[in-house]
Amino acid sequence: MKKQNVRTLSLILCMFSYLLVGAAVFDALESESESSRRRVLELKRSEMKKKYRFSEDDYREIERVVLQAEPHRAGRQWKFAGSFYFAITVITTIGYGHAAPGTDAGKVFCMFYAVLGIPLTLVMFQSLGERMNTFVRYLLHKAKQCTGVRRTEVSMENMVLVGFLSCIGTLCVGAVAFSYFEGWSFFHAYYYCFITLTTIGFFGDFVALQKTEDLQEKTPYVAFSFMYILVGLTVIGAFLNLVVLPQMRRQQCMLLSPLEPIAFTCVCVMKRREISGGHIPFILTVDGKKIKLKHPPYSPIKTPRKHVSASH
Amino acid sequence: MKRQNARTLALIVSILTYLVVGAAVFEKLESRQERSHKRRLDARKHELMRKYNLSRANFEELELVVLQLKPHKAGVQWKFAGSFYFAITVITTIGYGHAAPSTDSGKVFCMFYALLGIPLTLVMFQSLGERINTFVRYLLHQAKKCLGMRRTEVSMANMVTVGFFSCMSTLCVGAAAFSHCEGWSFVHAFYYCFITLTTIGFGDYVALQKDDALQNDPRYVAFCFVYILMGLTVIGAFLNLVVLRFLTMNTEDERRDAKQRALMTVGTSRGEVARLIPVSASTSSTPVAQDSAKAKDLKGAYTEVLHFQTICSCLWYRSKEKLRGSTPTLLPQELTLSDAYLQQNMNRPHYMEPGSTGCVCSPRPCASISSITTGLHLLSPFSVFKRRSSV
Repeated sequence: MKKQNVRTLSLILCMFSYLLVGAAVFDALESESESSRRRVLELKRSEMKKKYRFSEDDYREIERVVLQAEPHRAGRQWKFAGSFYFAITVITTIGYGHAAPGTDAGKVFCMFYAVLGIPLTLVMFQSLGERMNTFVRYLLHKAKQCTGVRRTEVSMENMVLVGFLSCIGTLCVGAVAFSYFEGWSFFHAYYYCFITLTTIGFFGDFVALQKTEDLQEKTPYVAFSFMYILVGLTVIGAFLNLVVLPQMRRQQCMLLSPLEPIAFTCVCVMKRREISGGHIPFILTVDGKKIKLKHPPYSPIKTPRKHVSASH
Repeated sequence: MKRQNARTLALIVSILTYLVVGAAVFEKLESRQERSHKRRLDARKHELMRKYNLSRANFEELELVVLQLKPHKAGVQWKFAGSFYFAITVITTIGYGHAAPSTDSGKVFCMFYALLGIPLTLVMFQSLGERINTFVRYLLHQAKKCLGMRRTEVSMANMVTVGFFSCMSTLCVGAAAFSHCEGWSFVHAFYYCFITLTTIGFGDYVALQKDDALQNDPRYVAFCFVYILMGLTVIGAFLNLVVLRFLTMNTEDERRDAKQRALMTVGTSRGEVARLIPVSASTSSTPVAQDSAKAKDLKGAYTEVLHFQTICSCLWYRSKEKLRGSTPTLLPQELTLSDAYLQQNMNRPHYMEPGSTGCVCSPRPCASISSITTGLHLLSPFSVFKRRSSV
């Protein structure tokens, strides 16, 4: 028990220090550029206000209109294609926010939709990811056999390496595609793919399918984007299934008896008895060791039978 | 078809269906409002353009300035408090986008930061969630004892109920707080909390963006950070309880299949010893095909072992509870069990499936018993045992 508490506490501390370090670095990298950009923009704004002689109220009105019209700039967001895109961003928890439900009914439905959709999606991606890992392991095994390597078992290191390379490969493929279709630089497209496939999903800088009327007109590109997001999340999910899930699994709520290995062994003993029909001088533990017993093992089956007949 | 493949295919089909259905509903709910909203905004825009005699080019210039100023409107985003807020949105994958790195070096650092931070956060939330679940189970157990209930074990249903209510109350508390501090309606604040704690993070509602709160109101800033992190812990605990076991279903099935395959092909040394393949922590499941001798009864034994494993543990609990040590049981000191094996076994869920020998007890009660209760709803295995012993 104590070990788990220690583990949890150290993870919490790690995370907090990580946040502090991150905050400091982002501050150092962005703060200055932010304030200089802000100054430039505010200067421009006052220039324009003077030029067109806006009243304060009217300028606020213009601001409001522009900000609210922002999502509409990218075309119809709630036709079927746009809604499908939105549904993907909800259940994968990417959540760009390029479009968000405006009606209250939409918001309520969105919440219920997420409650069922997100766990379903998590389970699906892990399931598919595991299948992919198994297939890759099989391929690697065959490859090792074909290339005449002596030890043809596929180790964890092999799998992690292949997984990592597939993730990088997926990001690069996406970067190339989106830089071509959206006209971004390769670096910015790579950044977009990364932010999408880690489900962080910023809005404001790069979101695909937002060039005017893309959602309605460029159907193959739309289909490609959706496929890319889903396949990419599978590849990332497979990697997480390989590397992170076992760590999370160790924290699984344990509701089972800790004596299962013992139960396991005692049943083997029982069975062994049935097979050999005699007194066993030893029992075989599950990791292959033999232990000499002082007295024959107690068979748990007997007790409950007695117990059952007593209580029923 | 193999169970894992069938399961995966079924999941894919259900997700695609779910997406299509969702898209249709969202379209129905939002499309008309979108059109009318756009029309109204366009009308207003043209009014303003006419009033100030703006050409289209002028207005677009103005638009650009306004849009670029949007993040700055909310205050300084990249001072320490704002950067901390941003770092939280990155490693928890919420990702509002209210602020996003504009410098290229910021973007690069963001990617590396996320690469390490996201798995760290996932593991941490699951770890903390599991601790919380254990603590809650302890509290419930004590509560049941105090209330003088006969069966004081905490069932999965109890845990799920408590978990669900904690999630709901976390959302409501947040909704109340944010609706007061940010001036949103309760529904909108609830929506904000929900979207945040599920890490979707649209960014249509973002806390700490009013009146330069990040710089001026440190207490509110602290509250927001604490709320987000604690809320994610509560949700994480609930997920740890309910969803995590489903994420490893395929892996467990693979492992069990591999074991069965190995058992089929493992020979018996000296014809008597059942050599059991230890569960390996690594996911390498290439079958060990050393001997060609088929040990059918051993395989059957192994399958039954998988069954009895559950029943034995239930019975162990039962005997421990009811008989208070008057029943002699197998003492741990007599056996040596490697730590690693114990650890691995503790982490496996129990989805028992009938083996090819046709086990007597059906998998469902076995699985439900082992993974849901701590062994006290035991009428079924007892009846199974009755049948078993009569066979």
